[in-house]
Amino acid sequence: MRKLLIVVMVLTTLLIFAQTKLTIWCSEKQVDILQRLAEEFKAKYGVTVEVQYVNFSDIKPKFLTAAPEGQGADIIVGAHDWVGELVANGLLEPIPNFAELTQFFSSGLNAFSYGGRLYGLPYALEAIALIYNKDYVPEPPKTVEDMIKIAKEIDAEFAGEVRGLIFPVTTFYFVVPFIFGHGGYVFKDTPAGLDVRDIGLANEGAIKGAKLLKRLVDEKVVDPADNYQIMDSMFKEGKAAMIINGPWAIKDYKDAGIDYGVALIPELEPGLVARPFVGVQGFMVNAKSTNKLLAIEFLTNFIAKRDTMYRLYLADPRLPARKDVLELVKDNPDVVAFTLSAGNGIPMPNVPQMGFVWGAMDDALNLIVNGKATPEEALKNAVERIKAQIQ
Amino acid sequence: MKKLLSFFFVGLLNVFFFWIAFFLFNNAYHVLGALFLVLVFLIDFFIFNPKGYPYRYVAPALVLLTVFVIYPIYFTVKTAFTNYGTGHYMSKEEAIERLLYDPVYTYTIEDKTVQYKVFVAYDGLTPIHDDFLILFKIEGTLFIAEKPIPVKKKGKDVLLSEAQLVPIESSSYQLVPWSEELTEIRMITSGEKTYRAFYSPREEFLKLNAPLFKSRIAQFYLQRSDFVHPSGNKYALRIDRTGEWNFLRIERLYRLDLVQTLENDKPRTKLVVVNNRTNKPLIEREGSFYDVNEKNEEVYLIGYIDFVGWKNFLRILRDPRISGPFFKIFAWTFFWALFSVVFSLAVGLPFALVLNDPKLKGRNIYRTLLIIPWAIPVFISALVWRNGLLNESYGVINKFLLPALKLPAIRWMNDPFWARVGVLLVNVWLTYPYMMTISLGALQGIPYELYEAAMIDGAGKFRRFTGITFPLLMTVIAPLLVSSFAFSFNNFTIIYLITAGGPPIPGSTTPTGYTDILISYVYKLAFQAGTGQDFGLAAAISILIFFLVGGISYINFRFSGVFEEVGR
Repeated sequence: MRKLLIVVMVLTTLLIFAQTKLTIWCSEKQVDILQRLAEEFKAKYGVTVEVQYVNFSDIKPKFLTAAPEGQGADIIVGAHDWVGELVANGLLEPIPNFAELTQFFSSGLNAFSYGGRLYGLPYALEAIALIYNKDYVPEPPKTVEDMIKIAKEIDAEFAGEVRGLIFPVTTFYFVVPFIFGHGGYVFKDTPAGLDVRDIGLANEGAIKGAKLLKRLVDEKVVDPADNYQIMDSMFKEGKAAMIINGPWAIKDYKDAGIDYGVALIPELEPGLVARPFVGVQGFMVNAKSTNKLLAIEFLTNFIAKRDTMYRLYLADPRLPARKDVLELVKDNPDVVAFTLSAGNGIPMPNVPQMGFVWGAMDDALNLIVNGKATPEEALKNAVERIKAQIQ
Repeated sequence: MKKLLSFFFVGLLNVFFFWIAFFLFNNAYHVLGALFLVLVFLIDFFIFNPKGYPYRYVAPALVLLTVFVIYPIYFTVKTAFTNYGTGHYMSKEEAIERLLYDPVYTYTIEDKTVQYKVFVAYDGLTPIHDDFLILFKIEGTLFIAEKPIPVKKKGKDVLLSEAQLVPIESSSYQLVPWSEELTEIRMITSGEKTYRAFYSPREEFLKLNAPLFKSRIAQFYLQRSDFVHPSGNKYALRIDRTGEWNFLRIERLYRLDLVQTLENDKPRTKLVVVNNRTNKPLIEREGSFYDVNEKNEEVYLIGYIDFVGWKNFLRILRDPRISGPFFKIFAWTFFWALFSVVFSLAVGLPFALVLNDPKLKGRNIYRTLLIIPWAIPVFISALVWRNGLLNESYGVINKFLLPALKLPAIRWMNDPFWARVGVLLVNVWLTYPYMMTISLGALQGIPYELYEAAMIDGAGKFRRFTGITFPLLMTVIAPLLVSSFAFSFNNFTIIYLITAGGPPIPGSTTPTGYTDILISYVYKLAFQAGTGQDFGLAAAISILIFFLVGGISYINFRFSGVFEEVGR
């Protein structure tokens, strides 16, 4: 029995003194490039960086389960709107200032800031824009009226085989440009941060946006049954003339051989721009990691460099978060178009209360497009629901 | 030989279980670790004690029961009485440790960085990274510090280590050459031992070692270390504004303190966390710590898992947001489970009757074909149904079937009635093969003589079915129907994959839909609607659902008189 105990002790001590290595959880698109960067880091610092592929939508839940137990990745690559929830759980380590911080777009840094501290290193911005198939639409529409006209023409010409305009009308994220463009907002942006008690999703502008959506449905320009998968696959098959989607989808369309173009979401009224949500992707450090210093070193003195950021861009062509990298990629029309779209945009709130908004608004849109409730009723109710849940 | 081998295997099993138990203890899963220790003793007892012989074969089941049933139940019940969820992810002990020792909760007293230079002992040409000295120059005086030693540990983690700064004159170390300028010093000797200059942020040549200094020395020994000046001032390695790693004079933001309070007129001593800067104790409310800033505003700091008593259960009853739609959803859940069972039996049973007919040719082929829905993974069938058949614009039913029959398209996802029909349809498709199979099995058991007797008495086919087949069938399959009911009651997968609970009910203040069943409603409430997760509430509702299903099943068993049948 005694010998056995000794064996057990030896086994457990071996387990305790595991060697240092940094673990990164990232999604599919960054794996290859991060693995190459990891090798360079190892050559310089002698520290292994293990890059693990985790499905994007699984990173946050997995991190929430593993990190409190002192496990999980030292660094995760994710979206800025996770910050509020992760900070509330005490799982993110603030990133100290570093020399090249001024090179980053302030929108990216703001998105990753919470309570006055920076919790992530932004590397890519994203916002949705109008993507059109040049075979059907030679010149992208400038205003919503143009867009409706073109969509109707195409619908009539191809008798339903090719759809003029598709986007997920019951998904808040894709409808936001119309609501924000008219003056709606989620939480009021005040100098002291977002005021979660001031919700602008049922104000005049939001109702105007919702009415525009209803009009599109009533005039059979868009179909209430459309969802993201339908939009994505129809465009890939060349059966959709115009869609609204983000830069993440571009590569697939290029691979599918579609002659696409990217343009701003049309102006709602002449001079009134559509405002999409801007999302920011970035690197975050686990507050319970035992390698916090090294993780921060990896981010600030390695990833945040101009050359590294440029290589990240080449591997995953999304709008770079560094100003000087954007200068390098100016000849890519897609990036420029998405950047212009993001320029009109509003950063997605990173407060945990945003969690209530998605479901409530998706439900409200569903009721509106299906004629179960008027835009006024549905939006007012959605705001009430969000308010009730925030308490 | 055989005995030896079995001893070897038992030994191996013991080692394995002990290893698991110690691993769990190490990672602070005390209850689960203790369970494994108890298990290993029980198993040894069963194997080595002749009296335990009959239990020997129960042992594997016992292990599985403990790990997969008893422990999760214990854990669910425990969680139901806490506020575990977003904002409350760690124990109170851990939260306080974080406040006291985490480098984030410190503040720098002055912005002046301290000059320092690291010296490392060499073994031949290779530096020995864990044997180092740091030379500091603080206000013109040289101090030397050895490798910090842990002063506060928690399990395997070092929470804080410390090193004393000793004036170089009063130490046993010799500088080579002796100089007041850090840059000129190349070596430090102590008796036989020599330490050579390794890293300094101010010397270009030594700066090349920065990555090694950071990954081999700072990472292991300086992350959570204080260097204590003879005057009591503390210095620690921090990343400063420019991204350089420098030593700064720091102070911890929080300390533990005892305060006297009056509770029920009795003086009590309480341990509180106090802010060193403002000297105010932190506010503790609803399992969270709040600090007060200069503007007298409360700032959320950190939350911990706290015992909340029956609060989660009371919330289900009293919170109008939860209890409001509860009965609506409960009613639909009940009918959903009931219809699922009735309709799938209504489809499965006739098939079974036909297949049971010995005159039918090619029975095996039919049977195989009919069982296919059961053989395809639920996730695949559900998605095929949702996207391929029920989709409102491109689904086969709406695009080809209904137009061919000159019928209007059905709004499967957006019409409450048809959404319910849709989910039921999918569930019936998925479960009728099960009903068919159990019915087939039960039909085999009905003696043929009964039918012969009935035929002689002149009973027709229908009379034979209602008089013999159905009652006898029911005595066999009724318990299975009850369990099937209980399964449907909690069949989250189908609902979630097909409609995700939608279409939404207008005017509701919670995320509720017409096809939501209790479990999917709970899932939305606990994990989707809120600011992240609410495991405490989810656990409380799970317990509630357990009793609901248990109660309904019990009534069903009594009602179908199955207990009596089985008891006989």
